Amino acid sequence: MSGTIQFKQDLPPKGGYEPIRYKRNLPARGPGGLAVFGGILAICAYGFYKVGQGNLEQRELKRERAWSRIHLIPLLMAESDRDIYRREQAQLAREKELMKDVPGWEAGKSVYNNKRYNPQNFVVM
Amino acid sequence: MATHRDAQFPSTPYIEPAPAPIGQPKVEEVGATSAPLKSAAFFIGQQCQEVNEDFMLCKNESRDPAHCLKEGRRVTRCAQDLIKKLGENCGKQWEEHWQCLEKNNQELYMCRKPERSLNQCVFEKLKLVKNIPGSPEGQPQIHEKKNPVWSGVQR
Repeated sequence: MSGTIQFKQDLPPKGGYEPIRYKRNLPARGPGGLAVFGGILAICAYGFYKVGQGNLEQRELKRERAWSRIHLIPLLMAESDRDIYRREQAQLAREKELMKDVPGWEAGKSVYNNKRYNPQNFVVM
Repeated sequence: MATHRDAQFPSTPYIEPAPAPIGQPKVEEVGATSAPLKSAAFFIGQQCQEVNEDFMLCKNESRDPAHCLKEGRRVTRCAQDLIKKLGENCGKQWEEHWQCLEKNNQELYMCRKPERSLNQCVFEKLKLVKNIPGSPEGQPQIHEKKNPVWSGVQR
């Protein structure tokens, strides 16, 4: 066989092929993991600090609310007492009038055998 | 009508037409609603401290309403006196504060701005200072705090 047919052998370029870039090639974007973690930690710490401060404040607000009521109790109780006294006296008079014919009846007598005051459970209308 | 006991039978309201018993000096009711009273509570508590404590000690002796009528009248008169003075001297600030309380579910922390002007006025005119018993020592009380965590829209 004589070599008469012209052909061109396919060969690598001069100096060989470039090495294949198989290595991972991602640019590092944004803050690092430690920074993100640290940031989240800082935000949480600040939040919890504020929650704590808010809880302490709530305690003081509760105290303020309680005392604003405590200061008013004598005033409201005094008014209520006068009204209850007026109603009780009127009832007593009514009961005396109703039961005047029953011998041995003590109007307004407590059902308990002691001296302690008990609010009335029923009303003579 | 000032009683904490509701009628048990709503079909017959518990109305007692009888006048106040004879022999008791006449005292009007205070007549203020909850918000003005809440707004003035700390001043009432300070101004009327003696009569209030006297009344509560009396109530401690006996819960009978007839037992503490005299002390109760003193309490009411003292409160009426203070409310009158408050209305004359700081009426505008007081009104502003209790209107704010009415609009904010009667939460004191929502109304610090009008409260400050009220406290300032009351201190100047009546020499009364709002003081919450039992607050931690050495730090501003909750109503004096400059930058509270819990605040409404207004500071």
